[in-house]
Amino acid sequence: MESESLDSPPASPIANNGENNLQPFFVLHKALPRKGSRKASETGKTRSKLASLSSPKAAEKSEETKQVGEDDYDEVPLEAFDFVWSKIDRTIKDVLLNINISVFDVIHQWVCESFSTIKSAGTPGGLHSYPPLTDITCKQIFTGLVMTKNVEFVDDLLTFKELAMHLKSHDSHVVTLSSMDFTAKSGIGGCLKSLQRQLIKFTPDTADISILVSWYSEPENKGYPIVVIIDDMERCNGCVLSEFILILREWVIKIPVILIMGVATTIDAPKKLLTSNALQYLSPCKFTLGSPSERMDAIMEALLVKLCTGFDIGHKVAVFLRNYFLRHDGTVTSFIRALKIACSKHFLMEPLSFLCEGFLSEDSHSFWMEMCESLPVEMHKCAFDLPSCKLIDDVSCLSTETLVSGLSAVKSLQKDWSSVVLCLFEAGKFHRIKLFDIFCEALDPNRQSGAVEDRVKASSSGIFLHSEECFGQRKTGFISQAVRRIKDLPPAQLSQLLQIWRKHTEGITEINVKVEELLSMLDFDGESKSNKQDGIGSPRKVTSPGESKSPKKVRTGSPKKAASRSHLNTEKDKEAVNLKAVKLLECMVKDYLKPIESLPFHEIFCFKHVDILQSALIGDPRKMIQVDLLKSHTYLHCSCCNKSGESLLPSMNDTSIIYQLAQEHGDLINLHDWFQSFKAIILPPSNTKKGKRKLQMYPLSKKRKVAVEIESISEASIQARFCKAVTELQITGLLRMPSKRRPDFVQRIAFGF
Amino acid sequence: MDINDLDDDEEFGFSRNYFLAKEMRGSGKKKSAQKLSDIDVVDEQELRVAVSNIETKHEKEIDTLLISYKSLYPKWVFELRCGFGLLMYGFGSKKSLLEDFASTELTDCGVIVINGYLQSVNVKNVVSTLAEILWEQLKTRRRFSAGSTSKVQQPSSSQSMEDLLAFLDGSNAKENDCFVCVVIHNIDGPGLRDCESQQYLARLASCSNVRVVASIDHVNTALLWDKKMVHTQFNWCWYHVPTFAPYKVEGVFFPLILACSGTAQNAKTAAIVLQSLTPNAQSVFKVLAQHQLAHSDEEGMPINNLYATCRERFLVSSQMTLNSHLTEFKDHELIKTRRHSDGQDCVYIPLTSEAITNLLEEIG
Repeated sequence: MESESLDSPPASPIANNGENNLQPFFVLHKALPRKGSRKASETGKTRSKLASLSSPKAAEKSEETKQVGEDDYDEVPLEAFDFVWSKIDRTIKDVLLNINISVFDVIHQWVCESFSTIKSAGTPGGLHSYPPLTDITCKQIFTGLVMTKNVEFVDDLLTFKELAMHLKSHDSHVVTLSSMDFTAKSGIGGCLKSLQRQLIKFTPDTADISILVSWYSEPENKGYPIVVIIDDMERCNGCVLSEFILILREWVIKIPVILIMGVATTIDAPKKLLTSNALQYLSPCKFTLGSPSERMDAIMEALLVKLCTGFDIGHKVAVFLRNYFLRHDGTVTSFIRALKIACSKHFLMEPLSFLCEGFLSEDSHSFWMEMCESLPVEMHKCAFDLPSCKLIDDVSCLSTETLVSGLSAVKSLQKDWSSVVLCLFEAGKFHRIKLFDIFCEALDPNRQSGAVEDRVKASSSGIFLHSEECFGQRKTGFISQAVRRIKDLPPAQLSQLLQIWRKHTEGITEINVKVEELLSMLDFDGESKSNKQDGIGSPRKVTSPGESKSPKKVRTGSPKKAASRSHLNTEKDKEAVNLKAVKLLECMVKDYLKPIESLPFHEIFCFKHVDILQSALIGDPRKMIQVDLLKSHTYLHCSCCNKSGESLLPSMNDTSIIYQLAQEHGDLINLHDWFQSFKAIILPPSNTKKGKRKLQMYPLSKKRKVAVEIESISEASIQARFCKAVTELQITGLLRMPSKRRPDFVQRIAFGF
Repeated sequence: MDINDLDDDEEFGFSRNYFLAKEMRGSGKKKSAQKLSDIDVVDEQELRVAVSNIETKHEKEIDTLLISYKSLYPKWVFELRCGFGLLMYGFGSKKSLLEDFASTELTDCGVIVINGYLQSVNVKNVVSTLAEILWEQLKTRRRFSAGSTSKVQQPSSSQSMEDLLAFLDGSNAKENDCFVCVVIHNIDGPGLRDCESQQYLARLASCSNVRVVASIDHVNTALLWDKKMVHTQFNWCWYHVPTFAPYKVEGVFFPLILACSGTAQNAKTAAIVLQSLTPNAQSVFKVLAQHQLAHSDEEGMPINNLYATCRERFLVSSQMTLNSHLTEFKDHELIKTRRHSDGQDCVYIPLTSEAITNLLEEIG
């Protein structure tokens, strides 16, 4: 089926389903019985799929596999994507929940207290016909104002969802409403209906609060607070929300509602939005969420540094994402979306990307060995055709072992790299250096001078290079800033930093030992302060500076012993520890911060196609549609129009012609002039007296052909073509049609891209 | 960063272009005061026939272009299954491209096509049909697998939008590849351009069992969506796929620019209106028309002159009768008034001389 359809252009639906074209919608087809292989698509079967791929039968097929996309092969990247993305997704959710959990707990506490206050004022769910009037305080609605510190409410949608889950799990009835429920159009009925639907799980025709009362009086519902969460308060209609509050407060004793509203701006937002009548019944309490940049740092740390899924991003992609976050949008949501697109594109484009599963396996070497041995020949070849393979010194032995050891090298170096980035981040924290900045710089394959730079330079195109100058401050980069500033850290902070380093460097024994050593020196310093009067010990350096520069030499003595030998009690010595820490970090950067892009086979795990990501993420219809029209022959590759250079030819697309003609006008285009110049283009000069432009000379045969065609072009068809071209421009929105005031002019909308 | 620097440059270029264009208008206005009515427009009927007979240029190349996009089909399927929506843009009708993609690659899920280029589309009907298709799909699937009985109520068109959306968003299909697909031609079209439709489409797109493939043609489409819709609901993956195919169906409902505002139309409507008026009124109009033909360089006929002439010919007896005639003419846009250079009001017929001559012949 596919091969047949590959050769034929898409059938014109205009011919075969003309009737459908005028239906608002129609069913194109229903699901056909599925093919057997897709039925059993569960994750984790990649290995068996691959085994079957490597069988002789499959090997024969593999040629057509590439073109047609055989089912077995199709599933592999998708499964790998699902596998990796589900891990990433879970990590993001965990990180965000961790950031918010303390606030959530406080909110829950407050909900409980508020509920008990309501209970003490009356008996919720009692079967009185109407709540008896008691004192005013019990007719207040407890309202939590959650300050989101973020004008972009998208980021907080998930937070409020999590909050709802959190409260639900702690025995509350939770209703989540949004500004869509509080519109002037649907009025008070809209939000009450949503409330009922979420609580009672059925939609009554009319909104009736008494239904809620009887629902709440049922034994299984009684005794729990009803929390109503409105995630974007500022976007609600003030009148409807006020009315909603007024209704709720009348019933608050029978239906113990507690409001939680997300506030993006300032604490006085409710004052601006609500009527004073409604406002007086609110009993507000303020809560504050983390800021977007805090969230971003936490996500970056967990996702791109700590979590080794076998999906990484290259330097250019990282820089792009950072700038997209900082300047384009500023929401964590859009960052995650961009990352997801990058991830899907990676698994789609890189045939060997499914090998990432080995990153997470305990014994990745044997996992990869098994996988790589069963690889079909084409895929094997694929691996050695990767541009980074040129980095392998010994080109002669391109065996499976080379591949597997290459992959293992990527994994282990990636682990070290992550540890060093985390150490740098901790050091940079004292000076508010963002993790994203350090991350980008650490990924830069040109950061390290020497051989690596030369080898990789060739592959880096110029798109993002000059961005470094204005952002990364080449000479005083974020990394060197972070390193240098350690010198000035007071001992308390230094010791704190070293303790974190100790945790982060657990994977690198040599460094870990040195960190322990520095720590013990500091500890000793602390002790020595108390022992000062005893006059113990003269300072003795544990390691010479030269030694600390080469961390690969494994030390023999235990750190404790070393500590016992060292004493520090003068200012100078304190500085010495700082200097040692600086030296140590410098060593870590030099020896362990190897950018992934400088390693052979990194393409299998690393997504580098920033242009593809950008075009999928941010479409640019305004520019591209104009480019299509102005440069139509670059897409059509026709023989008739591409010789023209700048001038217009009658053979070009009519809409292209009139759009190019429109460029010569101001913001208003005189229709008459426009039509005449269009006519002049499609008719040869001899036939048009009014023709304003001369056409280029044609080859003789073509000229004759054109002349023959001309005779058959009637005035009606010229006008029809003009009309149709104008309509097409109108569809693209590049024109505004004549108004009553200016019946002879159309207006241009776009001026340049 | 360079993208943003570029943006700044572009912005600068954009504003400069804009002001240049404005300047051109100032200087060019005098030059091109040509009237659309100066074009000798053929009869509207003939024009419509001619429009339907236009031969598509580069038909072969367009076919080649469409075939070249077939290599992207597997990618599109992959991205749909990853949970993205596909948004196609670029010049040319993408109708056949999208339908070809859906009918060759999306065979194992139900597909509904929405023609957004039509004037009105009822999204509720779409959603309920979609829910029915999904229900059938799930039923068949269950029969194949465990044979467990469906606990979910069969969706019907009488259910509310919320319930239908909740059904489509249900987690009843754990495997993420059981979905129904909506192909939306011109999601920015006139029938879907309103805020409510877009909100519903966004909610539809965010349902776990629904995937959306849509096309846009308008350069400012992105303004229809806020960040919530873009980032969390539609979740677009953009593709630039210019086809250069003619907008045949999409353009059907647009008026032809030469036919609707041209003189042909105005003269014809004028004749119809005049024929329905009293003979006296027709004669008043004739007086004005003859004056305008005789003094085509003047700004119009002063109302006093018109009154004097009409009174001489016993067409009107008082200024009031004349005024009532003039009001009638104005209501039907047969005449317009403007102030003469010496300060008095004068009336004129907003048609060319030839058109007026034709008109006089027709009513005479």
